[in-house]
Amino acid sequence: MGRRSVHPMKLSEWLPRYGVLVALAILMGFSAITQPGIFLSPENLRNLLNQNAAIGIISIGLTLVIAAGGIDLSVGSLMALVAALGLITLNKLTGAGQTEVVAVMGAGAVCLGLGAGLGALNGLMVSWGRIPPFIATLVSLVAFRSLTLALADGGEIRSSSLIILPNLGQGGIPLPMLPTPDGRPLMLTWGILAWGLVALIGGYLLNQTRFGRYAIAVGANERAARYSAINVGAAKFWTYLVVGVFTGVSAFVLTARMNSVASSSMGLYYELDAIAAVVIGGTSLTGGRARVWGTVAGVLLLGIITNLLVLNGVSVYWQGVVKGLIILAAVLIQRRRTD
Amino acid sequence: MMARKTFRAMWAVVAAAGVLALSGCGPAPSPTSGPTGNSPAPSGTSGAPAKKIRIGVSIPAADHGWTAGVVWWAKETQKLYPDIEWTLATADSPDKQIKDLETMMVKGLDGVVVLATESAPLTPIAKQIHERKILLVNVDRGFLEPVADIFIEGDNAAFGRKSAEFVAQRLGGKGKVVVLEGIPSTVNTDRVNAALEVFKLNPGIEILDRQSGMWNKQKSLDVMQTMLLKHKQIDAVWAQDDDMALGVEQAIKEANRTDIKWILGGAGMKDIIKRVMDGDPMFPGNITYPPSMIALGMQTAVSVLRDGNREAILKFQPRHLKIDVDVVTKENAAQYYFPDSVY
Repeated sequence: MGRRSVHPMKLSEWLPRYGVLVALAILMGFSAITQPGIFLSPENLRNLLNQNAAIGIISIGLTLVIAAGGIDLSVGSLMALVAALGLITLNKLTGAGQTEVVAVMGAGAVCLGLGAGLGALNGLMVSWGRIPPFIATLVSLVAFRSLTLALADGGEIRSSSLIILPNLGQGGIPLPMLPTPDGRPLMLTWGILAWGLVALIGGYLLNQTRFGRYAIAVGANERAARYSAINVGAAKFWTYLVVGVFTGVSAFVLTARMNSVASSSMGLYYELDAIAAVVIGGTSLTGGRARVWGTVAGVLLLGIITNLLVLNGVSVYWQGVVKGLIILAAVLIQRRRTD
Repeated sequence: MMARKTFRAMWAVVAAAGVLALSGCGPAPSPTSGPTGNSPAPSGTSGAPAKKIRIGVSIPAADHGWTAGVVWWAKETQKLYPDIEWTLATADSPDKQIKDLETMMVKGLDGVVVLATESAPLTPIAKQIHERKILLVNVDRGFLEPVADIFIEGDNAAFGRKSAEFVAQRLGGKGKVVVLEGIPSTVNTDRVNAALEVFKLNPGIEILDRQSGMWNKQKSLDVMQTMLLKHKQIDAVWAQDDDMALGVEQAIKEANRTDIKWILGGAGMKDIIKRVMDGDPMFPGNITYPPSMIALGMQTAVSVLRDGNREAILKFQPRHLKIDVDVVTKENAAQYYFPDSVY
């Protein structure tokens, strides 16, 4: 994020860049004041991170895709399909007499591998097939959900892992200095840690690797990138593969938390929340400008809004309007006068 | 450059055509969309080949446990009547459902069983079906006008009322209760309003909070987690629906709260019924709302159309059947337990 001059930034430059942090701070302050003792309690903050970890992980991958000028509408359905097959694998391995550890590892492998594979499928459609990303991932959105429903007969897939997978879902690193009301140490769940790790990897990929530079170049000006001898197709392809892998991670995290897969509702509309988070975070929807930390802030912003509305008992009928207005405000603040 | 543009345009058209074809299934497509005819009619032993009776079944897509149950029961009931030519379509929105029904009408139908995704938008097409003299059986969510030949509904008001009465009675008229609601819809509103009426009559019952769990286990888990932080003392939870009850239970367990004595779910998920049967202190009861009512609708349609005595039967067939909901307790749980059901 290079600064062009050494003069202090004007407000019109500063606000679009860091506006999301301002919004986040304002909302947190508002929440802390209206819900004293509850919003800032360690448990609530931990819940906030845990409940949004799945979307958070997916959003990091989506940042890369959008940075390269593409879009992936299928992430929610991809997550459901990958989770379903992962859990089916776990159950089959258990049925075949394997130990629980092996079965869970099998599920994890399927989630990551299949996530990569399906992400690659999206990537091929876009890069080799030259299909516009909106259409290509719309097709996979529909197809993946359909497959998931077919696999589970529209119902729920239960896990035969009764100890290890649920422990992965609820366990983590205990923080004894932050006790919960019942005295046990607060658990920093594996899901939250996975999100943190993915964010670090995502940031590294975007900012410190050639792949990240190429993705941004392609998103900023595809023709110029092509003339600069960047393999545009390959750059795009790899962004879709990466979001597929990250979605696989998210699928495993969410499956562990629920110890089941609800074929019709898992991941439903996640793509919308993820895209909103990416955009709120300051990544340009047309590509060429992206921030992983912005996406993380965007996910937290959306999460806090929901948390705030529930804590304040706002009728569910109104929650959508409130959420939409705040997203609009966040995006307006970040508008840049010149590009 | 021109050739590449044309090439791209071609791909875009092919892809768009593919999307249109697939989007006939909608964003959350049904596993079975379109005709699912059964085994071909055996050429009648009476010489002339019997013309098969065609009945369509239009139901919501399986977006949560209960609707998945409806779909399962619909498929099972199809098997009971292999001599009928069935067409089953599931829809995730009123818009899609209207398209399903229009398609079925074009195909030609003798009767149709409809469980509406939403009552109002489906009423105009229901009228059309009625005008075409196709037998119309309306299940659960009623049309706004009396156009159905037969209307079978679950009593949502009774569901809410009996749930609230169970809660009030079990708490001895005094206690702090948290309420989880379903997807904002007429079904949910009827239930909740009826329940609130009962709670008003029991001033010792304090409703601490009301939030929508969207009839979804994961959403209920998140919402309950937040509500647990807000309310340090809760006596019982009315979760209205068993999917939500499970999410609530997980939240309580994870937070290690001991103040909550029990949860009342609803709609009779087999696992919950089993726990009621076994005397689980967390699930002392349940209120039925059987997804099998679709089977009743289908059976009724078959019996009216089957022998060609439609007019005669409709003279005595009740036009409006209200299925009462039952309160399930440990004593009678066994009769509500269907281990093979998908719900």
